Amino acid sequence: MLQLFQFISRSRSFIVFVLLEVFCFVFIVKNSNYWGATYFSTAGSVAATVLKTSNNITQYTRLRETNEALAQENRRLNETLVRLGQSRPAGAPPMYQVDSAFARRFAFVTVAKVINATTFNPNNYITIDKGYDDGVREGMGVLAPTGVVGKVKFTNAHQSLITSVLHSQFKISAKLTRSGEIGFVEWEGTDATSVLLNDVSRYKKVFKGDSAVASELNSVFPAGAMIGRVRSVKVNRDQTFYDIVLSLSTDFTRLSYVYLVDNKLKKTQETLEKRVDTK
Amino acid sequence: MTPNEIIRSVLTFLVYVIFQVLILRQLVLFDSAFCFLYIAAILFLPYEIDAVVLLFICFVTGLIIDSFYDTFGVHAAATVLVGYLRPIVINAQFAQKNLDTRLELTLPQLGFVPFLAYVGPLVLIHHAALFFIETNNIGLFLPTILKIIASSLFTIVGIFLVQLFSKR
Repeated sequence: MLQLFQFISRSRSFIVFVLLEVFCFVFIVKNSNYWGATYFSTAGSVAATVLKTSNNITQYTRLRETNEALAQENRRLNETLVRLGQSRPAGAPPMYQVDSAFARRFAFVTVAKVINATTFNPNNYITIDKGYDDGVREGMGVLAPTGVVGKVKFTNAHQSLITSVLHSQFKISAKLTRSGEIGFVEWEGTDATSVLLNDVSRYKKVFKGDSAVASELNSVFPAGAMIGRVRSVKVNRDQTFYDIVLSLSTDFTRLSYVYLVDNKLKKTQETLEKRVDTK
Repeated sequence: MTPNEIIRSVLTFLVYVIFQVLILRQLVLFDSAFCFLYIAAILFLPYEIDAVVLLFICFVTGLIIDSFYDTFGVHAAATVLVGYLRPIVINAQFAQKNLDTRLELTLPQLGFVPFLAYVGPLVLIHHAALFFIETNNIGLFLPTILKIIASSLFTIVGIFLVQLFSKR
């Protein structure tokens, strides 16, 4: 008996070692057991909390890439959305079949970052960090996640200048979604948060808060691109049109990423329409 | 051992484990070299520590690492093995020398070659046990050997770097 105790005492580290190893291997073999998964895995409470905290911290260092990836994803989704909307226009007669080239005419070419923008001049321009090397061409439309931004005016290899909506020469055909009326959006030159919607007849109904989107009658922006909401409606006695003020949906002082939209059929449409003048 | 030394040992130990689970876990070179620097926390525990206590420390450390790697006992098994072999290696390497002074398991105290002779075999054994238990498939013998060698080199270099830059 004494010898047995002496033996255990002498080789106690070996016995403990064997016991622990047996325990480990039981653990390994039954690796799906409930309490193991609950306490000793990354799904377990302690490890999960620690990893979550560490993840929260490291996330901040990746915000830039995340933003860029999201912008790219949005570009793709926007393109698909526009294509789907164009191939099945609302209110079309049942026999209407859309031409596939026409439905696919809008391409979201690229995502660009705004590197300079003004809002307080009579004519405002925006500079972006992509040029013709990235497929930007003069005359393309520019959209922000919140709505219409402008039109490309000049490009070089790596930058482009955009005529903003806040520009005296910028005109876009807009449609009020609820009343269906079509008019022209123009900037009156002072307030960077509002534009005017002209040419809407005073004998039609216009609702306050109705949203104005790009209409089908324009070749630069896909129909349905958001412009703004009706802020105020006024009627002048001696005029046949409303004075409608829209609040812009896009905050031009805080632009960051913009999408460039190309209408592939714009050239052909223009040449077709020019034949009237030459004959 | 003074209380000061005990506190320092505990802190060093915690730093190794936290460093392992938060940073080194994400660091894999060429898809085959892993850095299991936490083994240094076991290797550099004070020399006098009781063998049974050491085994339990190894077991708990392994379980902590396992719970972050989702490996259910693999690290615990390998680390307990190292904990058992550590006194044996120390006896084999340093039994004849250093009898008059207290043995300190650091690079400046031991010198380059004895340090490597202590760290190298234990790291290799740990990684071999770890990867073989984890793979559990003799068909993947060569890739596992590659992993073991690459990871051991990585870990040993890591241990040397930590030793070179730690103030003692």
